[in-house]
Amino acid sequence: MRPGSRCVSFATIVLVAVSVSACAMLETRETKLQGVKTVGIISAVGDEITFAKGGLTGLDNRSQRFPIGSWGLDELIVQQITAALSGRFQVQPVTYQREAFAAAEKDSVITPVNVIRGDPFKKLVQTEVSPQGLDAYIVITKAKSTFGGGGRKLEGIGFLNYGTVLASYSQIHALYEIRVFDGKTFDVIEKMTAPPLDDVGAVRIAGPSRMLDESFAPGAGDPAQNEKLHAAITDLVARSLPPTLSDMHLADVR
Amino acid sequence: MNLVRLPVRKMFKTLLTNDALPGAAAEQSIRKRDAVRDQSRPARKRRHTNRDFLCTALLALILVPSAAAAEPLVTLPAPPFELPVLPPVSGTWTVMVGVGGEYKPDFEGAKRSMLSPIPIFSIRRAGSTEQFRGPRDSASIALIDFGDLRAGPAGKFVTSRKANSYSELNGLGDVKTTVELGGFVEYYPVDWFRTRGELRQGIGGHHGVVADLSADFIVPLIQRFTVSAGPRFTWESTQATSPYFGIDAVQAMATGLPAFNAKGGPHSVGAGAQVSYRIDPQWEVHAYVEYQRLLGDAAKSPLVTLRGSPNQTTFGLGASYAFDVRIR
Repeated sequence: MRPGSRCVSFATIVLVAVSVSACAMLETRETKLQGVKTVGIISAVGDEITFAKGGLTGLDNRSQRFPIGSWGLDELIVQQITAALSGRFQVQPVTYQREAFAAAEKDSVITPVNVIRGDPFKKLVQTEVSPQGLDAYIVITKAKSTFGGGGRKLEGIGFLNYGTVLASYSQIHALYEIRVFDGKTFDVIEKMTAPPLDDVGAVRIAGPSRMLDESFAPGAGDPAQNEKLHAAITDLVARSLPPTLSDMHLADVR
Repeated sequence: MNLVRLPVRKMFKTLLTNDALPGAAAEQSIRKRDAVRDQSRPARKRRHTNRDFLCTALLALILVPSAAAAEPLVTLPAPPFELPVLPPVSGTWTVMVGVGGEYKPDFEGAKRSMLSPIPIFSIRRAGSTEQFRGPRDSASIALIDFGDLRAGPAGKFVTSRKANSYSELNGLGDVKTTVELGGFVEYYPVDWFRTRGELRQGIGGHHGVVADLSADFIVPLIQRFTVSAGPRFTWESTQATSPYFGIDAVQAMATGLPAFNAKGGPHSVGAGAQVSYRIDPQWEVHAYVEYQRLLGDAAKSPLVTLRGSPNQTTFGLGASYAFDVRIR
């Protein structure tokens, strides 16, 4: 046997051995979710909307934030997920400090730390949610996405105006991630960021987003009073939940 | 049409022009011509091989069927197990494949240029954006990320310089392949302007230090069409310059060039420009040009003054196709 063939054979054996042992040691999500009967749902996404400018901007391109708690997006999310999961799980109402989840520990600027440190919401599920003792808790929180060529990030619910030399584009986004915590150990069974929808906007964003025409742009007034914007964001959230739950194997609602 | 029996570049031309296949006599003539060419210089032969590869890849890209933007091209089953530390792979991923060609000097300081193929491949979560990247940037990972300020390790692979590949180098001896490892820092004061610095230590062919500085104005003309351009500057230590531009006594005797002790310092200054156009959600094309003027002892080396040129220009062109893969 040639040395090259021996190396390939050895690598194949090692690969098969690792795969078999990994299969034996690690449970899949499906296995972990099989034991779950009762779940509670926590949503902390819809407290504020961010207005950001990108692309060809002036020197001051800081984002602006406005409260939109009155839109009831979190209530809508809990309602939709409850409806989607009811066939498979027994969804029980829970009370929680929404502000605590919305203001949870942010990502570290040292990126490897985010991989090795514990989940920032684990402690909150243990201390801020009542009742305890359910089989699992589903937690929906804001996610982030970079946009354009630079490193700037968008977060949660927002409105982006992207300027170019010849045109400008308006786009809304609803960036969120869903975690499933084990109700006993509080370990994360499953975690996923909502993927982009089919009708993606002009600016690539790693989450649900869609283009808007100028009539949706907020004027000088309070964006919370902009009903067209409210309706567009609500529609975006409602359309993005089923594919995300389906990708997480929580519900087949595509 | 029996395309398979044609040389690749002929096959490509035939497909584009829709010409009929030449007859057996013509094929024989092509074979004879190729046989004569095979006996010519090795560098020229390599150029043809590269061109064939490039044509094959472009042909493959053209033949890839257009997929709908919305639906994933492939759906794969869920993996049998998951690692606890890593995020789950379920969901939609965007795979990008493509090919590019780079027409650049045969070696640093050379007068003549050569076309080389460059493969393009990336996998990312669907919807996530690719950060701006300059043609001269080394491979890098941002371990520190403030959004507008990013830093982390960087590495570059510098291919070996074989003396027998080019007549200008005969007698100079080979310079082995170098791996340059170090770090980078880049800063975006605004979305449309990037500054970047890299500092790398060579291992292998040279053992010196290389510092690259660049700035790019990144201007989107429309959302799908972006132009970027900016200045470049490179500094190299003596140990990084000497293996490529120094000529010792033995090499001087073998080459007929005067002996030269190349020292480090400012190595090159120049500018680069890049355009990228997203034709549709799947197809993207890009082109770039990078010019650098050698400085200091690199420019003064007899290898450059007598057999090469201090003006180094690189042209690049590429096309890529992105498709979605869904993992259950």
